[in-house]
Amino acid sequence: MAAAVADARAARRPLLVQGFGSKSAMLRPVQADATLSTRNLTGVTLYSPRELVIAARAGTPLDEIEALLHQNGQQLTSEPPDLSALLGSAGGQSWGGIVAANLSGPRRVAWGATRDHVIGIRAINGRGEVIRAGGRVLKNVTGLDLCKLIAGSHGTLGIMTDITMKILPAPAATGALILRGLDAVHGVAALSAGLGSPFGVSGAAFLPAWAADGIPGLGSQTVTVLRIEEFPASVAYRLEQLAGTLARFGKSEILDERTAKRVWTAIRDVTPIRPGAGEAVWHLSTRPSRGPTLLALIEAAGARGFMDWGGGRIWAAGPATPALHDAITHAVWDLGGTFTLMRAPDSLRASVPVVPQEAPPLAGLTRRIKAAMDPDGIFNPGRIYAGL
Amino acid sequence: MISLPEPKAETLAKRDAIIAGLRRILPDSGVIADAARLKPYEMDGLTAYRRPPLAVALPETTEQLAAILRFLHQEDVRVIPRGAGTSLSGGALPLADGVVIGMMRMNRILEINYDDRFAVVQAGVTNLGITAAMQADGFFYAPDPSSQLACMIGGNVAMNSGGAHCLKYGVTANNLLGLKIVTMEGDILDIGGAHLDAAGYDWLGLLTGSEGQLAMVSEVTVRILRAAEGQRAMLAAFRSNEIAGACVDRIIGSGIIPVALEFMDRPAIHACEDFAHAGYPLDAEALLIIEVEGSVAEQDDLLGRIRAICDDFDPISCRVSQTAEESAAIWKGRKGAFGAVGRISPDYLCMDGTIPTGQLPLVLRRIGEMSEQYRLKVANIFHAGDGNLHPLIMFDANDPDSFHRAEAFGADILRLCVEVGGCLTGEHGVGVEKRDLMHHQFTATELDQQRAIKTAFDPGWLLNPAKVFPLVAA
Amino acid sequence: MQTHFSAEQLRDSDTAASNTVLRTCVHCGFCTATCPTFVLLGDELDSPRGRIYLIKEMLESGKPATEPVVRHVDRCLSCLSCMTTCPSGVNYMHLVDHARRYIEETYTRPWPERMLRGVLARVLPNPRLFRLALRAAALARPAAGLIPTGTVTGKRMQAMLSLAPTALPSDSPAQRPQVHQAQGVKRGRVALLTGCAQKVLAPRINDATIRLLTRLGIEVVIPPEVGCCGALTHHMGQHDPAMAAARAAIAGWTREIDGAGLDAIIINTSGCGTTVKDYGFMFRDAPEAAQAARVSGLAADISEYLVRIDYQPQRGAPGLTVAYHAACSLQHGQKVTGAPKALLKTAGFTVVEPRDPHLCCGSAGTYNILQPEIAGQLRSRKLANLQERRPDVIAAGNIGCITQLSGSDLPVMHTVELLDWMAGGPQPSGLAAGGS
Repeated sequence: MAAAVADARAARRPLLVQGFGSKSAMLRPVQADATLSTRNLTGVTLYSPRELVIAARAGTPLDEIEALLHQNGQQLTSEPPDLSALLGSAGGQSWGGIVAANLSGPRRVAWGATRDHVIGIRAINGRGEVIRAGGRVLKNVTGLDLCKLIAGSHGTLGIMTDITMKILPAPAATGALILRGLDAVHGVAALSAGLGSPFGVSGAAFLPAWAADGIPGLGSQTVTVLRIEEFPASVAYRLEQLAGTLARFGKSEILDERTAKRVWTAIRDVTPIRPGAGEAVWHLSTRPSRGPTLLALIEAAGARGFMDWGGGRIWAAGPATPALHDAITHAVWDLGGTFTLMRAPDSLRASVPVVPQEAPPLAGLTRRIKAAMDPDGIFNPGRIYAGL
Repeated sequence: MISLPEPKAETLAKRDAIIAGLRRILPDSGVIADAARLKPYEMDGLTAYRRPPLAVALPETTEQLAAILRFLHQEDVRVIPRGAGTSLSGGALPLADGVVIGMMRMNRILEINYDDRFAVVQAGVTNLGITAAMQADGFFYAPDPSSQLACMIGGNVAMNSGGAHCLKYGVTANNLLGLKIVTMEGDILDIGGAHLDAAGYDWLGLLTGSEGQLAMVSEVTVRILRAAEGQRAMLAAFRSNEIAGACVDRIIGSGIIPVALEFMDRPAIHACEDFAHAGYPLDAEALLIIEVEGSVAEQDDLLGRIRAICDDFDPISCRVSQTAEESAAIWKGRKGAFGAVGRISPDYLCMDGTIPTGQLPLVLRRIGEMSEQYRLKVANIFHAGDGNLHPLIMFDANDPDSFHRAEAFGADILRLCVEVGGCLTGEHGVGVEKRDLMHHQFTATELDQQRAIKTAFDPGWLLNPAKVFPLVAA
Repeated sequence: MQTHFSAEQLRDSDTAASNTVLRTCVHCGFCTATCPTFVLLGDELDSPRGRIYLIKEMLESGKPATEPVVRHVDRCLSCLSCMTTCPSGVNYMHLVDHARRYIEETYTRPWPERMLRGVLARVLPNPRLFRLALRAAALARPAAGLIPTGTVTGKRMQAMLSLAPTALPSDSPAQRPQVHQAQGVKRGRVALLTGCAQKVLAPRINDATIRLLTRLGIEVVIPPEVGCCGALTHHMGQHDPAMAAARAAIAGWTREIDGAGLDAIIINTSGCGTTVKDYGFMFRDAPEAAQAARVSGLAADISEYLVRIDYQPQRGAPGLTVAYHAACSLQHGQKVTGAPKALLKTAGFTVVEPRDPHLCCGSAGTYNILQPEIAGQLRSRKLANLQERRPDVIAAGNIGCITQLSGSDLPVMHTVELLDWMAGGPQPSGLAAGGS
C-alpha cells in the first residue's frame, strides 16, 4: 500500500481512497486517476475483552467485528450507523470507513463520537510513509493526536490501514419511553429534560408524524423517544423515574424491548428518511434547543427531517436543488452549527460547499495541514473542499 | 538531565523594547519584568527544571492575548503559555528568552446552559470551579484530574487531562464542544461551538493535548452532564499489589464499568491517610477505591457484584462509605496523593505511563525491583481501570545523586511501559520531562510528521519551545 | 523542594525551621486555588506558592528584604486557607511569620507607612489608648471626606475611620481582672483571655462569655498580668513587643495553672487563639519553653470548650436563621470547623453557610487598614455570599470579622452571644426574635 502511494506521488497521480465505497455519495465527487481501496486489508489483529480494546485492519467488514464483540457481550460504544439505505449503497461498510467518516449513532449524545473511541491508528501519509499514532492503551496523550485529525478526514490526510478502538460491555437490557403527539418544541424540551436527568439517557430523538409512521409499531403521531441501556432492573427503575420527570409533557408509554431496539436501529440507520430519486440528504448539527427552529426553517424551504441527539442532530432530505441547499445552509449559519451534504447528484455536490466554509485564517490552516500530511494533494482531491 | 536551548542573543538584546511593548498592551500589574518577581515563575509542578523567563504577561481579555501574541510574533519572541502552573511534566517551564503568558486573570464563567448542556468558560477558570458553579443544580464537568482544585481548564485542554473518573466519562477531548484559540500570529479563531461534531478537520481533537505547541486557548466550551442520583465508594484492601492488580482485571472483565477504579500501594496509603484521615486501611499492601453510581438500590447491586469478585482475592477488608462526608474524605486523600507524598519525601518525580491493564502485575513487580536497584522509594498511585500508572519516585533535590538516580529510574519505568505495549504519558503530557524519550515510542518519520503539523500552525516554532519534540531533528 | 541554605544560615533556629517548611513543599500549586488574593489578583506572586518562593529566595540570599518581596508578603492575609488545602502539610504560618519578622528587621518602609504601623502596633493592643483613638476618630469622621483618597495613606486613613464605630460602648466591669464564681455546682475552672481591641469594641462578648460559663458551673478567672496576647504585633513582624506581651500572658496563666489550676484557657477571639496555641513554637528556644507549651496545650476556643462541657439551651428554638461565618483563624488557623455550627444548631438556630466559606472576609488583623482595597473587595464578596442565604443574623467567632462585616442590613454578632441568649442570657441587641 505504501509503495502504491509512493508510486502515485512520484507520478503526481491523484488517488480515490476508499474502503468499500459505501460512502462515496457523501461530500464532493473525487476526480482521481486510480482507486486505492483498503478492501484487502482484513482481519482482527488484537482483541482483548478484559482490556476493552479491539484492533483490526481497515478493510475488515464492520459486521464481522460487531459479531465478534457481540459474542463477548461487548459493543462499539458510538453505535456506528448503517447508512446503506440512506446513501443507496450495498455491500456493507468497512472498519476504516466508519472511522474515516466519523459516523456515530444516537448513543453519541451520551457516550461520544466514533473518533472519541479511536485509540490508535496506523496510516500511510501522502509521502508514502507509515505513520502510527496513539496505541493500544485507553489513555494516551503522547505527542500530537493524529488519530483524531485523521479520523473524520475522509481519506484526505492519510490512508488508515489499522485502527484500534476502545470498546465497552454491551448493556444487558435496552428500554425506551415515548411520548406521543408533542410538537417539535415540546418534544425537544422533553428530550432536554430527559438528558438533563440523572438517569443516564443514551438516546433522545424526535420523530415527526411521517417519520414515526415509517417505523412499524410507532403509530402515526409525532413520537418523542428516549432510551435507557443498563442492567434489566435499572432499565425498569429508570424508565419509571423518567416517566415521572417527564410527566409535565404528558403521559408516556414504555416500549417492549424488541420494539425499543427496532426503533433505535431505525433511528440509527436513518431509515425513515427514504430519499427519493432526485432528492438530496443533509446531516445538520446545532445546539439542541435550536433544533426545532432549524427543522421548521428547512421544512419551510421544502425539506423534511427528524431530530436525534436531543434535538441537536437533524437528518434531512428534499429536492436536490441549489436553492434548497442554500436555504438549509443559511439556516444553519444563522442558528449556529454545522452541515454535511450526505447525498446528492454530482452536479449539485460539485458546485456547492458540502460542509461550511471556514473563516479565512482557519481555511489557511486547513490548507497547511493538508500540505503537511499530503504535500502533493494525491489523496481524495476535492472531497471536502473544492481545490483541496 | 534534559538540555534546554540557548537563549537567542537578539531577543535578550531587545529585552527592554519587548517589555515596553507588553506594557503598551497591558496595565502595569499585568507585566512582570524584575528579576525578584520573575523567580517564582521559573517552574511549574515539575520542580527539577527551572529557568526564569524574560517577562511574564497576564492578559485579562482575548483581545489582549491576541495583541500580545501578534506583538511577540512580530518580534520573533518565544512564548510559554501557563495556566495554574500545576504541570508535572514541565509543560509551563520557561526559557530565558521567552515570555510567559499567564492565563490566571481570565477566570470568568461566561455562560452555563442546562438545556443544551454546555458551559463557556475562560481558560483561567479552574477545573473544579466549573463544577462548583453548577453543582447546586445537579450538573458537573466530568474530567477530574487530581489537581482539579487548582488546575485550569486551558491547561486541561493543552494536556488533554484525564482523572479518576475518565474510565466512564472520558478525558478532556471527549468532553469539549468548542474552543476560542489565538494563533501565534494573533488571529482569534472559533473552533466548534455549542453543537456536536463540526464538519471539516477535527481541530478540536488535534488542539486538545497539543501542549501549547499549536495555539493558545482563551475560551472553552465544555460539555456538562447531569450527575447520577448518587455515588458511593468502596475501599478494598489486599495483601499484595499483584493480587489487587488481578482483582482489577477481573472486575473490568465482568462487564461492570465502575465510574472510578483507583489503586494505591502501601506508602501511598500511609501518606494520604496522614493528610485526609479517610480511614484507609493501614495494614494493607494495596488498596482499591472503587466507585459506582446510581440509585441506592443500583449502588447496592453493583457494590454487591464487585464485593463478590473482591472476595475471591482474599481481601484484608472491604468497606463501603456510608456518608457523603466519608466519600469526600476518601477522594480528598486520593486527589491530594501527590502532595501528600511531600510528607514522606522532600521531592518526587511523578511518572505517568499507561500500560495494557493485563500487564499490571508484571509492571508492578518490575517497578519494585527497580526501586531496589536505584535505592529509591516509590509510591504507586494509579488509575487502575485504564492502566494509567503514577509511580511517585521519592528523592531529595538537595542531593544531586539521588535526583540523577530518580531520573534514570523514571526513564526505565517509561521504557518498560512502552515495551509492554503502552505509552509514555497517559494524561500529564510529554512536556520537557519526557521529551527525550519520545523516540522510544515514535519513529523518526512519525516525529517528523508531528513536527510538520506543528510547523503548519507555528512556522517560527515560537510556541512553547523545547517541549514535546526532541531538540535534535532527525 | 530544593533549598540552598549554608550550614551557617541553618544554625539560626528560625532559618532552620523555615528550611524544614520549605523542604516539605512540593510546589503542587493546590494552595493557589483557595488563596483569596490569588483568586482576586490572578498572579502567582500573590499566591501562597509564589510567596513561599519569594520568601525562600529572600531568606537564602541573606540580604535585606526588597520592595517587590515586601509588597507581595504584605498582601498575604495570613488567613491560612492554604494550610487547610495543602496536602503536604507545609506550615505556611511559621514561614510567613518568619518572613514578616525578617522584613521588619531588614527593610525600611516609607515613613508614612512606618508611622501608621507604629501607631497601630502601639494603640491597638492597649485598650486605654485604643479607646482614646476611637473617640478621636468619631470626632474626625465628619472630616473623612476631606482626606485625599488618591494616595495609599489616604485610603488607609479612610479605611481606619470607616472601621471605627460611631458610638463606643462603655467599658464593662466584668472583664477587669478578677475571679467570677461558678453558679451552682462548680464543674470546672478556666482562665479567660479578655483581649485588647475586642474589650474596647465589644465588651458584650466577654460579658456573654462570662455569664454563660459561670451559669454552666465554670469558674472564670481573669489574671491581672494578661493583656494583649501579642498576636497583633506578631502578625506585623514586630517580634520583641509580641514576645513581651506573650511572655506576660504566659506568666499570668502559669501562676494560675500552678495555683488553683486551670482546665482550659478560654479564648473568644480566634485570631488570638491561633497565636496562643502557637506559643509552644514561638518560645521553643526560650527559657519559658515548657510553660509556653503547657499554655498552648490548654488554650481552647470558647466553642471547643462549650462542646466539651456539653452546652445545652434553656429556651425554646427562636425561629431564626444564623449564617455562620467561619473566621479564618478558627477554621484554618485552629482547624475548629464543626463546633460552632453544632452549638448553634443545638441552641435551636437554623444554621446556613455562605458559598466559598473558606475565603477570608478581608479583616485579618490590621489588614483592612493596611490593604484597604483588597480587604474591601473581600468584604463585599463575603457579604454578598452571606446575604444570598437570607439569614436573620451573622455569627462569627472573631472580633475582626465582626467589625469587618458590620454595617450592612444584617446584624453581626459573636457566636457566644447567641449561645448565651439561648442558655438564659439577655437577648442580644439588634436582634428581632421570631424572624423569618
